[in-house]
Amino acid sequence: MESPLLLKRLFRVSVLLLILLIAAVFFGISIGSTGSGISETLTTLFSGPEATDPMRHTIIWQVRFPRVILAILVGAALSLGGLVFQALLRNPLAEPYILGISSGSGIGAIIGILAGLPRFPGVSATAFAGSMGTLLLLFVMSSGQTLLKKDTLLLSGVMVNAFCAALITFLMSITQDSRLHNILFWLMGDLSAADLSQVGIVAIALIPCFVLLFALSNSMNLLLMGRELAQTMGLNIKAATLTLLVATSFMVSLTVSFCGPVGFVGLVMPHVLRLAFGPDHRVLVPACIFGGGAYMVLCDLLARTLPDQGEMPAGVITAMIGVPLFILLLKRSG
Amino acid sequence: MKQIRYMLFLITFCTFLFFPGPSGARTVTDETGRSLTIPDDPRRIVSFAPSITEIIFALGRQDRLKGVSRFSDFPPEATQLPSVGSYIRLDIEKIVALKPDLCFATKDGNPKDVVTRLTAIGIPVYVVDPRNLEAVMETTLRMGDVLNAAPRADAIVHEMLSRIDRVRALIATAPSRPRVFFQIEISPIVSVGAQTFVNELIEMAGGINLAKGSAPYPRFSREQVLALAPDVLIITSMARGGRFDQVKKEWSQWPSIPAVRNHRVLMVDSNLFDRPSPRLVTALETLARSIHPELFEGEK
Repeated sequence: MESPLLLKRLFRVSVLLLILLIAAVFFGISIGSTGSGISETLTTLFSGPEATDPMRHTIIWQVRFPRVILAILVGAALSLGGLVFQALLRNPLAEPYILGISSGSGIGAIIGILAGLPRFPGVSATAFAGSMGTLLLLFVMSSGQTLLKKDTLLLSGVMVNAFCAALITFLMSITQDSRLHNILFWLMGDLSAADLSQVGIVAIALIPCFVLLFALSNSMNLLLMGRELAQTMGLNIKAATLTLLVATSFMVSLTVSFCGPVGFVGLVMPHVLRLAFGPDHRVLVPACIFGGGAYMVLCDLLARTLPDQGEMPAGVITAMIGVPLFILLLKRSG
Repeated sequence: MKQIRYMLFLITFCTFLFFPGPSGARTVTDETGRSLTIPDDPRRIVSFAPSITEIIFALGRQDRLKGVSRFSDFPPEATQLPSVGSYIRLDIEKIVALKPDLCFATKDGNPKDVVTRLTAIGIPVYVVDPRNLEAVMETTLRMGDVLNAAPRADAIVHEMLSRIDRVRALIATAPSRPRVFFQIEISPIVSVGAQTFVNELIEMAGGINLAKGSAPYPRFSREQVLALAPDVLIITSMARGGRFDQVKKEWSQWPSIPAVRNHRVLMVDSNLFDRPSPRLVTALETLARSIHPELFEGEK
């Protein structure tokens, strides 16, 4: 199975994207709202705290660094989420948002904000509960045999999504005070609340999922070939589907609960990477982790630095870049 | 038990080892009950809300103010100071870059995680939480204490109290209690209910707040406002740029409202009313004049 050719390709792609990711991280911690110098960052990075301005040190390591790491994790998780859902549903439009998982998470988060809970762990926990509740609802709606038919799951998702969107609007319409701002900012998707210990928690939860998805990458290849063929190749379709769904939902809802629904990363990154490196999921899973991470870091960097009257939510940037890019890709591939 | 105590001691010891406080430091408790260590004489202050900026200027400590939140526009000099983001969306990086030795935040408005993160970085944040006019005076006194401007703070509070007493004395002679509808938002129509500064001010200014209820910022339909038949309709300048005339015109279509019939649709500066700063007394006076113009006839 593991041909030397595949390993070589995997290595090449990973190294290429890893270099991109490292470059993105470097820019991410070098540039910020208080101006910067790349040389200044280099001295701070390589000469230890005593040789540099402690304020610079704090800004780079305690303000920018956690945020950049969170961006990598979020970008990787959302890209992988899109990749898995596109394979599972064999639908290029699929991504976790289409299935209503992020909206469910949104309801949870808003309830948390309305209850006056702190952003972490309170709001994160209610958001996670919300998305898991949506997933459960999806399973109930499309239970048994029909779970594997892509249209049922997709349509159930669209309906769940519409219902959740209405509920979110309702909750916002009955909110009258400053909590409305909190809800709005959360809904726009925002990475600014990262602190290193929270990022650590996200990493500990996400990295096993990344490994699991990599282990299942060949199953995704088989699933894409169609059910009959996959079955003859010895794949337990139901088990594979369920594992992929649960792991991905867990991943996505965790990231959404931390930084709100950052859209279009899951739609755009898998397509871009597929165009660049081909359809083999054994290559695409690591490519999504490194490439998606780098993309999100750069989007967040733009969100932080573009407006001069304070920063804007990263979700705005990902949508503004993502949508035109996606349309371009559709045109070219069609 | 002994072990826990030992651990606690160790943790405290390590904390002091890594974060040595400045030589002249003192421990204070802020208005949310958090205790924090601040310099004896804070020199680099950052304000996270326009109201706090106003208080710091009033205390005469503006020379120590190194950064303010966006929309800190009173006094006008405040706009010259570096901005650290809007009060709901503060830019932590900018705050850290200003090297503050003390920040002031409000509990109602500033995100809690910003306070937590700055504290973790080692920047003390004093959180104020004034809920009514009396509490604003208390906050002013506390901030005066923290900023070593206690005499100035005393003078501010003294002046506030005497102006409040003057309004109270005048209002006590008022023959009636007009029914007031205070509109802070145009579309939808939003008013102010109980537990707000404006509600307190309306009552102190001798009016009846028609929107007084459990909701702090209740919404109204036009129909409901017609049914309430306010004697005075006060609109804040929240929506700037000549929209007041438009709103006034819209109301003028309903002469069944006593306020419209008697030309008592008025506009007030929203910054006076939604910032818990010493200027709330000015808001009180403005409101008293609007509700009881007859009592102020003798003056200019």
